[in-house]
Amino acid sequence: MTAGSGSAGRPRRCGACAGRTTARGAPLAAALLLAVLALLAGAPALAAAVAPPSQHDVEESLTCQCGCGLTVHSCNHVNCGSAEPMKKEIAERIARGESKEQILAAFAQRYGEKVLSAPTFRGFNWLAWITPFAAVAVGGTVLAVAIRRRVRGAIPAAGAPSPAAGGDPVLRARLAHELERLDRE
Amino acid sequence: MAELGRLAVCLALLSSVLGVAASVLGARARRADLIRTGRHAAYAVFALVALATGILLRALLSRDFSLEYVAAYASSTLPAPYAFAALWGGQKGSLLWWSFLLALFATIVELQNRDRNRALMPWVTATLLTIVAFFLGLVTFITDPFERLPTPALEGADLNPLLQNYWMLIHPPSLYLGYVSASVPFAFAMAALCTGRLGDQWIRTTRRWALFSWFFLTLGNLFGAMWAYEVLGWGGYWAWDPVENAAFMPWLVSTAYLHSVIIQEKKDMLRVWNMVLVLLTWALTIFGTFLTRSGVISSVHSFTQSGLGPYFVGFLLLAVVTAGGLVAYRLPQLRTPGTIESFLSRESAFLFNNLLLVGIAFAVFWGTVFPVISEAVRGVKITVGPPFFNRVNAPLGIALLFLMGIGPVIAWRRATARNLWLAFAAPVGVALGSAVLLLLAGMPPGLAWLTFVGGVFSLGTVVQEFWRGMRARQAMLHESAPRALARLVDKNRRRYGGYLIHLGVIAVFAGVAASSAFRVEAQQSLAEGEEMAVGRYRLRYEGIDGREDGHVSILHAVIGVSVDGRRIATMEPEKRFYKKPKQPTTEVANRSTPREDLYLVLGAYDPDSKRITLLAYVNPLVMWIWLGGLVMAVGTAVAVWPAASERTARVVLPAGVRAGAE
Repeated sequence: MTAGSGSAGRPRRCGACAGRTTARGAPLAAALLLAVLALLAGAPALAAAVAPPSQHDVEESLTCQCGCGLTVHSCNHVNCGSAEPMKKEIAERIARGESKEQILAAFAQRYGEKVLSAPTFRGFNWLAWITPFAAVAVGGTVLAVAIRRRVRGAIPAAGAPSPAAGGDPVLRARLAHELERLDRE
Repeated sequence: MAELGRLAVCLALLSSVLGVAASVLGARARRADLIRTGRHAAYAVFALVALATGILLRALLSRDFSLEYVAAYASSTLPAPYAFAALWGGQKGSLLWWSFLLALFATIVELQNRDRNRALMPWVTATLLTIVAFFLGLVTFITDPFERLPTPALEGADLNPLLQNYWMLIHPPSLYLGYVSASVPFAFAMAALCTGRLGDQWIRTTRRWALFSWFFLTLGNLFGAMWAYEVLGWGGYWAWDPVENAAFMPWLVSTAYLHSVIIQEKKDMLRVWNMVLVLLTWALTIFGTFLTRSGVISSVHSFTQSGLGPYFVGFLLLAVVTAGGLVAYRLPQLRTPGTIESFLSRESAFLFNNLLLVGIAFAVFWGTVFPVISEAVRGVKITVGPPFFNRVNAPLGIALLFLMGIGPVIAWRRATARNLWLAFAAPVGVALGSAVLLLLAGMPPGLAWLTFVGGVFSLGTVVQEFWRGMRARQAMLHESAPRALARLVDKNRRRYGGYLIHLGVIAVFAGVAASSAFRVEAQQSLAEGEEMAVGRYRLRYEGIDGREDGHVSILHAVIGVSVDGRRIATMEPEKRFYKKPKQPTTEVANRSTPREDLYLVLGAYDPDSKRITLLAYVNPLVMWIWLGGLVMAVGTAVAVWPAASERTARVVLPAGVRAGAE
């Protein structure tokens, strides 16, 4: 469990990559949906990467090590032995002009990757971010294909005279009307 | 007494095993006497577990410290209500409590169906008693709440101070009711699979149970959020803690089921899917129980580690394999020739609603277990915390919010251009208008803005439905507006109750979006008489005071609150020091208005200088979340209340006719 392995390497931005990486080869509709969703998910980080890091943002990106399970920002323990020094250090590092990535890397170096409150956007951790959207995209594609197949199957049936109504247009109209009323119930 | 309790648990376990055997044999051999034995076994199990639970309660209330459980979770100074709540405050008691509730529900189900669902009932009994037997097995062999200490303790270790809060009497029971009652639809689903009676009989029978379970899961989640908000003092209400996730997942899947089941009832489609959702909801309740007890995933909610994990995993695997096998076996019968005529139809809107709800449930599940996966694959421990869940779920949730505006009004089967225009012109217009207005008012075009626009859109469609229904009745029946509205709802309680629930959900979305995006916070060290600002408020530290009794000592700061130079309130955030497990807790002072909450936490205090550190949060629209929950509760009550036709039908039809009609 080396701390460095997860934190080294180039900082990457999340949103755009999420769209690109998984779009390859996937059906168009699913890819589009995925890209939009992933972009939405990544948008805050994208914005944060450009501006100088805010204390609040960095504190939210780190987990308090006191055992409360909350982020450094949220830990509410009085004079928490973990959160308070971390907050102070974050403030100092921001004052020194370090970027968010540098600060997070420094903490990850010291405490291990588990100090980061969310998985990084690299390596195996990509799976954490992509899988939910991929699952929804795949589910959506399957659903769309299934609906389309049924729609195709249904069209000739709807076009052909149904046994109940026969070929009589008046009866057919009445059937449609009754069905609509039934649906309203 | 404790020995009697233990005996009762052992006998209950025996009875439940016998009940399972009798029911299964009776169903297979078509022997009414055996089936009756199974039913009676369920009654016996309930009586015995109730006795055991009563004995444990009595031990807790009389502070019988010769019992290990009482000594661990109560003390002589613990107020009686919390001694009562200690029943579910610890591992051993909570498993007995679970068994008690399930035995109670099993008994109610047996009584409700004495002369109904004759083919299904033996299998229902067998399934419910199997689950009871599993929990009673744990209580009997592994976590015996009646275990005596070698020498009685003089004093108990007391309930965790964080749990000594009135919410402890409300939140866990709600969640348990929701969790445990999910077993009833599951049992009927299993019975349907076993008997091959896969029509909608089992679904109709369990409709109210499914709603009951969903209702208490909703309340349990919301009460948990309120509790966290009021007690934990970090200004938030949801931390995506693994156990919160464990309660949220079955809620999501159960919500999906309540929607897709409408399609099965109307179109006889989705039999397989509905079956899967019911099984999944139940499996997630067991998974949630497992999460809190296994120590696999660390959480603030965790009970002490106990080695129960493998049993839960084993039971869950067995259940999933059995249920999955049965579904596979019945697959030919479950398939229905349902047709969907168009993408633009209510059927497909509901299907996509299901996709998103299950998708969110999966995202939550994935985030919850990912640390375990990461450790197994890379050998590196990582944290998957709130930033992950917020980012992943926000877009999915917002998509769901928009869909919530489409589903209820789009035409069944096939929406024509005219249908679409009639249904959506006004809501889309209002939503676009609100989008522009919000931008003009200075709201940045982010996720919160999108949530508000989606909320307005969904609100628009629901209001339009009420309005049109009411106008139609007024025009046709010449009723007054309030009467028309009331009759409209009464004539179709399910539908309009559902719409009310949607209104509540919209309010919850708005509250969550506003309080996440527009929260203001400040932290400052203050000497007596000094002031600080947060949002539009000025806070003046006016003094500090204390009081003390044998159980707890309380320190409260007096904070004068003013807006624009006008004093509006005096607030007193507290710190408490519990004496048994020497532990400080904070007691938040919260001034809640529909517009925003002013939420004060007393941080550090230095007795010599009397300086305090005050944390102040302004959380917009939090009250909307709780009000939304209230509206959801009212909506559910409206939906489950028997319709006028059902109410009279019950009187007219004697029991024999009902049984004959089956």
